[in-house]
Amino acid sequence: MHPESELIAFVRGDLPPAERARVAAHVDGCSACRRAADESRVVLEALVAGAPAPPPLDWGRYQAELRARVAASRRAWWRRPVPTVLAAGFATALIVFAVHGLPRTPSDVVTMEETVLGARLPLLQQYQIVERLDMLEDLDAIRQLDRLGGAR
Amino acid sequence: MGWLTTEVALTQETSDETLLARVAARDEAAFDVLVARHQGRAYRLAWSLLRDAEDARDLSQEAFLRVYRTAASFRGEAKFSTWFYRILVNLCLDHRRRGRWWQRFTVRDEGEDPERGGLLERQPGATADPADLLGRERLMAQVWREVERLSPQQRAALLLHVQEDLATSEIAQVLACSEATVRVHLHRAVSALRKTMGRGQSDAS
Repeated sequence: MHPESELIAFVRGDLPPAERARVAAHVDGCSACRRAADESRVVLEALVAGAPAPPPLDWGRYQAELRARVAASRRAWWRRPVPTVLAAGFATALIVFAVHGLPRTPSDVVTMEETVLGARLPLLQQYQIVERLDMLEDLDAIRQLDRLGGAR
Repeated sequence: MGWLTTEVALTQETSDETLLARVAARDEAAFDVLVARHQGRAYRLAWSLLRDAEDARDLSQEAFLRVYRTAASFRGEAKFSTWFYRILVNLCLDHRRRGRWWQRFTVRDEGEDPERGGLLERQPGATADPADLLGRERLMAQVWREVERLSPQQRAALLLHVQEDLATSEIAQVLACSEATVRVHLHRAVSALRKTMGRGQSDAS
């Protein structure tokens, strides 16, 4: 089996001694790997020699910009620009809404009671014990109706 | 011992890791020394990965900013340079990933800036045959264009190996993968470039 993936590390002298000896022994006896190693060496040397350089930078300006970025990151949150504070406030409101939901109003409670009442309506119609509508305001009494219905 | 003496000692003798410990304690002078020591390599690596001078400047500064913010989290398990390269390479790879889709089909090569001179001007050997130099320049340009087409991981592994002279084990730490994976990246990258050079030489002959 050809040591293909080890070949670059072998060419660059970046293999541990035992592995290096094993790959070297293979390369000595395998013309395909020897050729691959030679060609890889040429490619790597060409890459080093012909590496394009980046456009030059004004390092003084670079360092000044970096210092400004560091200073901005250190600034206390209340001294940061308004949009940041607004965004933080909006995010907090969203989290509070996600955790607690909207605050319940009395009308919500009435709606819930009406829903419970509606669900029990067929049962209520069967009981003569329900004589006064005032009783319906007591949710506990309504819940007891289930048990009464089962006992009947 | 005056302030100036301390500054000189920081510049000439202090290791990166010691400087980083001082940065964690918000020592501005130590941070300046650390930046001055690594800014050139950081910018060059970012540019090699992105081929955009503005992005390279911005992301290399961002990498230093993260060093400043997270200096206290450095545990000393790797060299500072390895840790720093990891931050920088991750930023660059994330940036490429987020890039607009049409940028993937556009190769921007600022290395061909006429004011800086092309590969020919940067090569030694003024006594060589101009025709040979021209052929070599074309070939090298072709090879580096092929580097642009490598996958981001292959390209990062190759640049860290060839340009920054990092060992396979260090590249594995930077890219957060195994040494075996790095070797596969390098093998595939160099194989692709060998094919390009082979085609280039046969076209020239």
